[in-house]
Amino acid sequence: MTTVVMRTTARVIVPIILVVSTSLFVEGHNLPGGGFIGGVLTTTAFAIIYLAFGLDFVERGVLGRDVDPGKEPSRDRVVVAYRRLFEYGLAIAVLSGLVPLLFGRPFLTQTFVIFEHVPLYGEIEIASALAFDFGVYCVVVGGLLTILSVVGAE
Amino acid sequence: MPPELSVVLAAVALPFVAAVSTPVLYRLLGERTGYAGVAVALASFLLLASQRGTEGTVGLEWIPSLDVALRFYLDGWGLLFAMLACGIGTLIFLYSPAYMHGEPHLARFYTALLAFMGSIVGVALAADLIAIFLFWELTSLCSFVLIGHYTADDSSQYASRMAMFITVGGGLFLLVGLLLLSVVAGDVVGPDAAFNLAAMLETPEAMAEALREQGLFLPVLGLLAIGAGAKSAQVPLHFWLPNAMAAPTPVSAFLHSATMVKVGVYFIGRMRPILVGEEWLFLFATLGLTTMTVCAIMAVAATDIKELLAYSTASHLGLMVAGFGFTSIYGAETGVFHLLNHALFKAALFLVAGIVAHEAGTRNIDNLGGLRHDLPVTAIITVIVALSMAGIPPFNGFYSKELLFEAAVEASHHHDIGVLGVLYPAVAVFGSVFTVLYSLRFLSLFFGDRPDALGHVHRPSTTLVVAPGVLALLAAAVSIRPQLAVDVIVQSGVDATALEHHEMHVSLPTSYSPPVGMSAVTIAVGLAAYPFYDRIHDGLNATLDAAPPIAANWWYDAIVGGLTGGGAWVGDRIHNGLLRTYATWTLLGTCGLALAGFAAAGTVASSELIGFDAAPAVALVLLVAVVAGLAVALSDSHIAGVLTLSILGFMIAIFYILASAPDLALTQLVVETLVLLIFLLVIEEIPEYYEVSLGKYARDAVVSLAVGATAFITVLVTTDARPEGSTDIARAYAEQAVPEGGGTNIVNVTLVDFRGFDTMGELIVVAMAAISILTLIVMRSGGDDE
Repeated sequence: MTTVVMRTTARVIVPIILVVSTSLFVEGHNLPGGGFIGGVLTTTAFAIIYLAFGLDFVERGVLGRDVDPGKEPSRDRVVVAYRRLFEYGLAIAVLSGLVPLLFGRPFLTQTFVIFEHVPLYGEIEIASALAFDFGVYCVVVGGLLTILSVVGAE
Repeated sequence: MPPELSVVLAAVALPFVAAVSTPVLYRLLGERTGYAGVAVALASFLLLASQRGTEGTVGLEWIPSLDVALRFYLDGWGLLFAMLACGIGTLIFLYSPAYMHGEPHLARFYTALLAFMGSIVGVALAADLIAIFLFWELTSLCSFVLIGHYTADDSSQYASRMAMFITVGGGLFLLVGLLLLSVVAGDVVGPDAAFNLAAMLETPEAMAEALREQGLFLPVLGLLAIGAGAKSAQVPLHFWLPNAMAAPTPVSAFLHSATMVKVGVYFIGRMRPILVGEEWLFLFATLGLTTMTVCAIMAVAATDIKELLAYSTASHLGLMVAGFGFTSIYGAETGVFHLLNHALFKAALFLVAGIVAHEAGTRNIDNLGGLRHDLPVTAIITVIVALSMAGIPPFNGFYSKELLFEAAVEASHHHDIGVLGVLYPAVAVFGSVFTVLYSLRFLSLFFGDRPDALGHVHRPSTTLVVAPGVLALLAAAVSIRPQLAVDVIVQSGVDATALEHHEMHVSLPTSYSPPVGMSAVTIAVGLAAYPFYDRIHDGLNATLDAAPPIAANWWYDAIVGGLTGGGAWVGDRIHNGLLRTYATWTLLGTCGLALAGFAAAGTVASSELIGFDAAPAVALVLLVAVVAGLAVALSDSHIAGVLTLSILGFMIAIFYILASAPDLALTQLVVETLVLLIFLLVIEEIPEYYEVSLGKYARDAVVSLAVGATAFITVLVTTDARPEGSTDIARAYAEQAVPEGGGTNIVNVTLVDFRGFDTMGELIVVAMAAISILTLIVMRSGGDDE
């Protein structure tokens, strides 16, 4: 799969996909999108990188580290990072649910504030659900990438 | 007068607390831990004794909104049973240190014994069906640990497995019975008290009527009978009890004569006011008398003193069950009074058997005799309790057996039961003859000539003799003043298990009545047949050897062996390590269950759905999807297959867009893309071509057709019930999305604002999937190295 056409295409589309996925995630509350869809799309971008450049590319080409070839895939630094990501994601989701308890509201209660007269944007809405959704995003990206990289390395 | 909550709670909790702290106690006290057990058991006993005469429910609120509470119900019957467990427990703990001297795993032994005592008290006092079931199974669990005390011993393992298998298996029947009962109770005493046994016992007639109306009377009766019968070693499940004699003797005395095996009898007595009737009479009187007779005969065939006592225990349990089976007041009196009498004499007999085995070094009946010279005190004890077991007047066993005869004779007066009216008393007498026989045989261990093979017999230590001595004294006290025992505890137990109140009177008969005649016949025939004991014993054993299927144990071995072999055979077929085989069985199993579910629910797709009603755009998209589906099947390379498969997926995404579900469409699109990429990533690893036999092709065809058909039918059936227009929930979400969640994308607002908890669950699923795959891969690479 690591053909020149594939690599060239990947170089162009991966950044676009990442931007789109971020926007999908941010806009989720008002437009189609959200943590889950954004997460899957981000994973797709990584999958394309794996497909075009091989599994070690993220580590060697992007982060500039050396890869120990004999290492088990599950102990790989990148895989550990992915694993962390979904662990953190789960923690964020749970913590964001616990915060309302401090204010005497039930677990996972969400609220929102609207800021008006913000320069450039005009009106901006911050929903507490965004934190929860970010947890969702992290779990999806971390979980899927763990699966993908471990299975792919086989 | 209502009972005191704290006292009841303390009585139940104390053994468990002690059980938990046994390891520490054992560090401090060593083999004297048993004496700490004495203190605990005695404390529980005294706490319970202080509640004598009270009746009512006490409870500790736990989750009030769900009406979950730790509830206890005290009445004469429960109190009698609980006090029996604690009282005999005290003596057993007193006996154990000397008997178990030098044995391994004593900490575990005492932990299990204490937990066991606590669970028996729990069963006796719990007012909640679920709590009863939990305590009930806890007793099985503890007995499993105790029977298997000698863990390295094969027969011990076999026996503990068997006891577990039978009693826990029976417990599952009981659970279903209790759940059915709670369904009916929900209608009668209100949904709040659906599991509250105490509430049901307040309106037994209404419960029985409701059970009959709903057609659940016989199922509930049958299920509870199986559960209780398995626990109380009733025919044909009686064989586990003699096998359980692999346990140390204190355990046999405590669990297998005095308490656990009686839990079934206890429960029969407990349910008696609700379920008593014609069916009840036929079921339990027949079951009990059969058990009584069969096990009495088996006891005569026994060659080991503990085996003899075990069969006789099962036989006496049959007597109690038969007693409760008879619907007259005498039936209840038999059950309650004999429960008390039997506990006193049989626990003492087991302890005597323990002393004999401990001091003489053998348990074989033929090798023992003339022990009265070596063990004079034990001999006196044995005379009292063995004659009591035989039912010889004036010993206490006589009174309760008289009551059984009375009840058996009375049964034909109360009910039109035809030939059974003669058969019941006849069988009761026939079985009792064997009881007299084996009781005399046990007594003969202490009389007659001393066999030459018997070596020196040591004097037992004092604590070994005290426990059976106390029991024998109690038995003697009941023998001399039976009315005293009745007034103290038995009367209140009878009131709780019988329908009507009746002043119970027990005394030696002064004039002739049918029961007196039956007793006379029993004792006379027993004494007359005793000289031929060895011939009867050998004849029975010869018959058993000639035809092993007569013995229930043979059936157990055959069934368990067959199941083990069959399980291994099925396992080899289903778990053969090939992914295809796993997938085949999983898919076919799922399809079978789904289709069976639809069939059972009588769900039929309405014929209106089998039409075509779609906008042209939708029709076109679906048509392309169908063509793509065909193309997948026809493609000759993996790449082509995967690409055409993704066409199908994208068509579905477009269908979602046309059906105004942009979120779903977006999800479908990204997931489809990701799946396509993953396929491309692994596709190089898949071999280009498989050698597949025609049979495999046929199998795959069948599986794929079945899965396709199931999916199709499921979609048809589940979308059939689509409501007209939007539902209340849908409208509520649409209206509340902006004011409550601050978002205009209802799907997302629902996911994170309204149903965040569900999303949280899904997150955990994703995380678990990742962790499991990680684990699988790590474990597999670990396995390769070996």
